[in-house]
Amino acid sequence: MSIDCFHYFYPAFAPWLALSLLLLGRNPHPSRLRSIASPLIAAGILLIPLEHFPLVRWIALLESNPSITLTLLLAIALIARVGGPRLFRSQDWRAAWLIGSMASLVLYPAALGLSPFDSYNLGWGPLLAIATAAITVVLLVIGNRFAYVLVLVLLGMIFHPMESTNDWDCLIDACYGIFSLIATILIVISYKISTGHSGNARRKALP
Amino acid sequence: MSFGARIALALILLVLVGGVLIIGNGAPVASGFQIASLNLPSAKAEKPFYQEEFINASQDLPFVHVASVTELVDHSLAALWYGGPYEHSPENQIYFSKERDGIWLSPQIIMTTEQVEHDLNRPIKCLGNPLMLPNPDGTLRLLFVSIAMGKWSGSQLNTSLSKDGGTTWSRVERLTLSPFFNLSELVRNRPVRTTEGWCVPVYQEFLGKFPELLWLSERNGKISYEKTRIAGGCSTLQPSLIPVDARRAFVLLRDYTKTKRIFISRSADAGLSWSKPEATNLPNPDSGISGIRLPKGRLLVTFNDATWGRSNLSVALSIDEGRSWKRIAILENDNEKSFSYPYMMQASDGVIHVTYSWDGRKVKEVTFNEAWVNEQEAKQP
Repeated sequence: MSIDCFHYFYPAFAPWLALSLLLLGRNPHPSRLRSIASPLIAAGILLIPLEHFPLVRWIALLESNPSITLTLLLAIALIARVGGPRLFRSQDWRAAWLIGSMASLVLYPAALGLSPFDSYNLGWGPLLAIATAAITVVLLVIGNRFAYVLVLVLLGMIFHPMESTNDWDCLIDACYGIFSLIATILIVISYKISTGHSGNARRKALP
Repeated sequence: MSFGARIALALILLVLVGGVLIIGNGAPVASGFQIASLNLPSAKAEKPFYQEEFINASQDLPFVHVASVTELVDHSLAALWYGGPYEHSPENQIYFSKERDGIWLSPQIIMTTEQVEHDLNRPIKCLGNPLMLPNPDGTLRLLFVSIAMGKWSGSQLNTSLSKDGGTTWSRVERLTLSPFFNLSELVRNRPVRTTEGWCVPVYQEFLGKFPELLWLSERNGKISYEKTRIAGGCSTLQPSLIPVDARRAFVLLRDYTKTKRIFISRSADAGLSWSKPEATNLPNPDSGISGIRLPKGRLLVTFNDATWGRSNLSVALSIDEGRSWKRIAILENDNEKSFSYPYMMQASDGVIHVTYSWDGRKVKEVTFNEAWVNEQEAKQP
């Protein structure tokens, strides 16, 4: 597959995986028929032609560089939903959301002009790859499986399979950034509630 | 996976990343500016000379905009603009014209919406600002804006290469310059040659409006690029880059604040960092400007001399590196018309060329020499 061919097909993976997940519905144990049909129907929907272009190319108009992270997280979620192995545990998902949140907070405000410093520029130099490698090593050592996703992100930073030549676009995109921030807020709220409950329980237990 | 295997994987990862860092990722590092040398024929240099003409006199379009003029490797001139029924029309096209023996040839269409959609394999709304980079090997690099959705905030930058002087163009490539859906990057003003390739003034107008520099280089026909920032916020845009030497440069900036003045910023490290933009004594009605540096160090700028509207176009001169400016000439003044987006360059024969949108319907070119500038300066009190 040539690199141009990859540039054409790569942006389709994330929308296809996301739509397949949506079509599976909220049932945690979808039927075998639905598990097979959902990805096929998703592919069919994305191939519907709209003014000379399939729907998926209209999505690529706006997002031609879905991050490798988002694509792999969607694939991991879909594999688990259709009855495949659960590759990620809850702590692996938490690491994915936390790192996504940190990356979006470092990247987007400055890149969109809130500061004289352009954080997006870091993605054209070695610093972002070094930082990602450091985080990956830490996650590998503590046994967090999000590290394996980051290993593939690092390979993306080396071989640049996407239309973008900026390393940030391998690590994060706006969709993954927004999901991560929402998920991190929900994790923090649930942590506060749980620690609040346990705190209340401890206070009640005191004589 | 066992702890030992995880440690082994971590070590392999460190070696892999380290290896890549040693090899380098091939992106161009911001590099020193090259100052074009002038080859002044005495007749053109000594006698005041001023001339004006329409580049697209034969073209009858309701809307033309963002014209630029470039000196090619063979010292001939080429002009570029976009036009069509109206500003954001899908029917807009990019036009290219060459000058032969002092006459501008009929404009050629070099890029259409359909061509870009075909090459990029995705829909676009319309085309916008084009810019030409004449490479030393004789090839022409075209940078141009396409709009994905909405108006200018939904713009993206594309590039194509011509190896036959602009007759045919390579498949269009999209440049990714912003992390947020790659939206809102535009070109408009004159590029500057660097030791590694080109430094192109660009700007963003999405949530903020701010000036940036795009650094381009080409190796074996493959383009690589990176971008650095001049200023952030919602402040100034459309930088006009004026190099002094390899390290020092100015940018003149279109104002997007309530100050209504042309801003100036300075760099002493080849464009990597810039001083905080300061307002000059020249007005700016949120409109495009263009400046050059003359061989003796004086700065020249073409601008709309008003705080509102674009019904005039003037030239001002600075002898103190942009600290103060003196108006020396009025190129246009008609309350019924609009004159905008000047693009100024000095060719290797010393002649100064200014192109601009003439009432949004024609591309006008004014040419003069430094002797004319001196004459105009002497006339002013």
